[in-house]
Amino acid sequence: MTYALLITVFVISTCGLVYELIAGTIASYLLGDSITQFSTVIGVYLFSMGVGSFLSKYIEKNIALTFVQVELLIGLIGGASATLLFLMFNHIDNFRILLYSLVAIIGILVGLEIPLLMRILQQRLDFKDLVSQIFTFDYVGALLASLLFPLLLVPYLGLMRTSFLFGLFNLGVALWTIHLFKDELPWRNSLRSTAFILIVVLVSGFAFSDKLMGIAEAATYQDPVIYSTTTPYQRIVLTGNSKDLRLFLNGNLQFSSRDEYRYHEALIHPAMASLNQPQDVLVLGGGDGLAVREILKYPSVRSITLVDLDKAMTDLFKSQEVLTRLNQNSLNNSKVKVIIDDAFVWLRSTSQRFDMAVIDFPDPSNYSLGKLYSDTFYRALKKVMKPAGMVVVQSTSPFYAKNSFWCVDKTLASVGFNTTPYHAYVPAFGDWGYVIGSLSPFKAATQASYPAGLRYVNSETVTQMLCFAPDMLPTVTSVNKLNNQSLVHLFESEWSEYVDAH
Amino acid sequence: MSTPISRSTFLKTLAALGLSAVAAKLLAQLKLSSNVLDLFHQSNYFAPKFTCRLLGPSQKVGHMLRGDLPTGPVKETKKTTVTIIGGGIAGLSAAWWLKKEGLSDFVILDLEPAVGGNSRSGKNQISAYPWGAHYVPIPNKESLYVRQLFEELKIIQGYAAGGEAIYDELMLCHQPQDRLFKDGAFHDGLVPKRGLQKQEEDDISRFFEKMIAFRQAQGSDGQPAFAIPIALSSSDKQFTELDKITMAQWLKNNNFATKPLLWYVDYCCRDDYGSTAAFVSAWAGIHYFAGRRGTAANSEPNAVLTWPQGNGFLVEQLKVPLGNNIQLNALVTNIKKADGKLVTTYLNHESNQFAAITSDFVVLATPRFVANKLLAKSSGQTSASANLAAGNSHKNALAAAHAPASTPSYAPTYAPWIVANISLKNLPDGQGVLPAWDNVSYYSPSLGYVVANHQEITTRHKPTVITYYFPLSQQEPKASRQALYKASPEQWSKTIVEDLEKMHPGIANEIISIDLWPWGHGMVRPSVGEIWGESRQKMKEPKGNIFFAHSDMSGISNFEEAQYHGVEAAKIILAKQT
Repeated sequence: MTYALLITVFVISTCGLVYELIAGTIASYLLGDSITQFSTVIGVYLFSMGVGSFLSKYIEKNIALTFVQVELLIGLIGGASATLLFLMFNHIDNFRILLYSLVAIIGILVGLEIPLLMRILQQRLDFKDLVSQIFTFDYVGALLASLLFPLLLVPYLGLMRTSFLFGLFNLGVALWTIHLFKDELPWRNSLRSTAFILIVVLVSGFAFSDKLMGIAEAATYQDPVIYSTTTPYQRIVLTGNSKDLRLFLNGNLQFSSRDEYRYHEALIHPAMASLNQPQDVLVLGGGDGLAVREILKYPSVRSITLVDLDKAMTDLFKSQEVLTRLNQNSLNNSKVKVIIDDAFVWLRSTSQRFDMAVIDFPDPSNYSLGKLYSDTFYRALKKVMKPAGMVVVQSTSPFYAKNSFWCVDKTLASVGFNTTPYHAYVPAFGDWGYVIGSLSPFKAATQASYPAGLRYVNSETVTQMLCFAPDMLPTVTSVNKLNNQSLVHLFESEWSEYVDAH
Repeated sequence: MSTPISRSTFLKTLAALGLSAVAAKLLAQLKLSSNVLDLFHQSNYFAPKFTCRLLGPSQKVGHMLRGDLPTGPVKETKKTTVTIIGGGIAGLSAAWWLKKEGLSDFVILDLEPAVGGNSRSGKNQISAYPWGAHYVPIPNKESLYVRQLFEELKIIQGYAAGGEAIYDELMLCHQPQDRLFKDGAFHDGLVPKRGLQKQEEDDISRFFEKMIAFRQAQGSDGQPAFAIPIALSSSDKQFTELDKITMAQWLKNNNFATKPLLWYVDYCCRDDYGSTAAFVSAWAGIHYFAGRRGTAANSEPNAVLTWPQGNGFLVEQLKVPLGNNIQLNALVTNIKKADGKLVTTYLNHESNQFAAITSDFVVLATPRFVANKLLAKSSGQTSASANLAAGNSHKNALAAAHAPASTPSYAPTYAPWIVANISLKNLPDGQGVLPAWDNVSYYSPSLGYVVANHQEITTRHKPTVITYYFPLSQQEPKASRQALYKASPEQWSKTIVEDLEKMHPGIANEIISIDLWPWGHGMVRPSVGEIWGESRQKMKEPKGNIFFAHSDMSGISNFEEAQYHGVEAAKIILAKQT
């Protein structure tokens, strides 16, 4: 029996450390800044273990029973901890309160374990052997956990399954203890049935953890999800309430119907209105048809070519009524031709020429997107422009990622465009930037050239858009090339800086 | 009770903070972790869900050269000015130059069903991919032939005001270029970075300082110490002496003992020469670092040019104007002299018919061991070794006549390689930095893999082909070659997948197919004395109107050397002809 109990020490110490690591890892994932998260989680956890050890002295009789109850509780709470943290992240205002309460509860329970076990074992061993053996197994268990966690558990099982698995170990210890003390324990059968019920709960959690993860992801959206689909290229999610419709691609907000007019008017009109009778317009990206809606406000336009990678996206914005209302059915307009292709590949192969090109790609957050902001791409773009043509590029935020913004400007300039950077305030995004590239110097339009009915852009707001405050000026400049991908590096470091600092 | 608990506290904290990293390292060294991982994925190995094919050069036809060559009635005899035997880069470059200079009356004979030699490439629905050579560094000033070709192919698009070439940026290797798997995660660059001590870092910088000095060095003859092609390097003794020791010896002589550095240099030797630093001549080893001096207006100085199909791209371009000049599946069985001309007999092993070509000149653009066998057989059969040489000069004829007919003039050794093209549903990112073009593991005897679709300009997520390179450098070539052919394709697949699993746990589940390409004689090995001994000089000597062209004649195997010898052979022929 002594040996069996020592094995128990080993198992529970492994479980205890795994819960601590899970909490630290999830906190780092969800809150960022891993040093702070790990330090505070470990601190709270160990302090709580101290509290647990302290409390153990108030347990006077029937120690084995308390031990079994503690194990059942740890099994449930520790086992469900990862799932609980993921699922609750978006539903509560202060995640840290949940996090540290959970860590504290587990800590207190784990802190009770060893003192209780020592007292169970004290009749069987000398004090010197008792201390020596208990802590030997405790430390070895801790080492095992710290090795298993990064090498096997996280890569192969993921955090949710790991936590369910170790919860099951604690329940196993509970059952084992019930078995060992079957002659002394009261309520043996009810303890055993509780253990079995909890095992069923944790095993189903383990089996359905993919589903649970899906629920956790759905919970990241504030509003009800009204449509969602996974295409070969992205996950499209549309959320809505009575006042606001939002589109998310891979979890990133693309627009909010409340203020998207600001983004799209600012994208299109400063360049478009300054052109003399633009006829042929190219839109790269922008499968939502909202930029096209703005372009159609110019009667001189005779053709709009929209190139987007994802057919599911353009189909959605051609057919769903709630969306065609928003884009005013622009994609079904007879002037509009939708081409499903890679923008870069298509650009290099087309023989068409354009008066205006609108480049509305996702932010340069990875290397394949970074290629769409390279000088090679802009050189290919320049080739499809008519002599008086103009391009406009969405260029991330000049406030959050100022060097990225100016990198786009410099890259466009490096291939021979005259660049005119400007920015507009879009509440859903913050201060957002664009760059106009023209083959002759840009001159802002007079008020008469803007289409009627615009809500945000007029000649006065355009004058403001052209003005940059000193905190938006670049500190480093570089040209983004396929063989340096400097924009992706800048973008990554600037956004992570912003996320870390706040 | 408070005392032991505080100790427990201390240890647990330690464990949580740092122990896992240390332990991971330890485990990696003990190879324990890999065994544990193996157990985890065992099912994938024993029941591969992917298809596995053995491709590769026609070993059976190639080995016909070993025994008695077949003979038979010649159905057809053609006449050309030049016969080029071998359609690798050397042969194609000889043809390129001849055609450029107005001589179109030549034929290229190649044993294989496609030209390209070591620059062969393949293609499936996912991507084109290389079977061997897969990049060319931006050429040096002195690499005139490479620059001329690149201008013609518009790889060089123009020159900037400062005189530096502007390269096609779709062909310059896109970022990120390379990453190294070490201590459980990838970091950028191939020079080990993670977990180095100050002393080790200093050693690595000292090594690169030395290499930069070599790169800038000039000999007393005014030539660069290390040039591309090698033939233009300085013959100044202070540098050529380096050819008398191995790279490992040189490192030792210069007190380089840092393990990560030794690994890196050894990796470079395996990468470029298919052999270890303990074998490669120090001159060749240093040439890898000091030879490349190319600059470009629109890239970093150390950039490389690459294509999805590797140097197969250059093969395709060189091949374009040669449509009617190329005869494939042609096993040359005999070269003999008749009426002052050279008659090349070959067996078309597809139609099983013999044909002959009578020409004024022959360019033997095959590996030297093949050339030697062919000449020995030809002279053995016709006792025409002297005959062959007679067209040149009496002195040569005498020398040739006195040499025993069967003695090969020179026989370098070759490293066997296995190359695998692996189609993946999805390339796992791996721990650490994102996938690069070239992905290497610090722990693997292979060279890791290159992502074939790296240069694509699509943003689609789609399947990928990776090209896995493995020079069998641990044993002597003969033993390695036997091992190469003895193992079944399934065994090779298993070895390769196990190796990849260490970088990417679970990658076995992503594999669609594995195509294997064993290279029995993958590349010439620059052993001690190979570059500045007499062999390079000897190999250049023509046998009458038979001229040699192959990168073997440089002692190292790459595009620039092969092209140089091809063009040089063409130039001599053009000079003789007029």
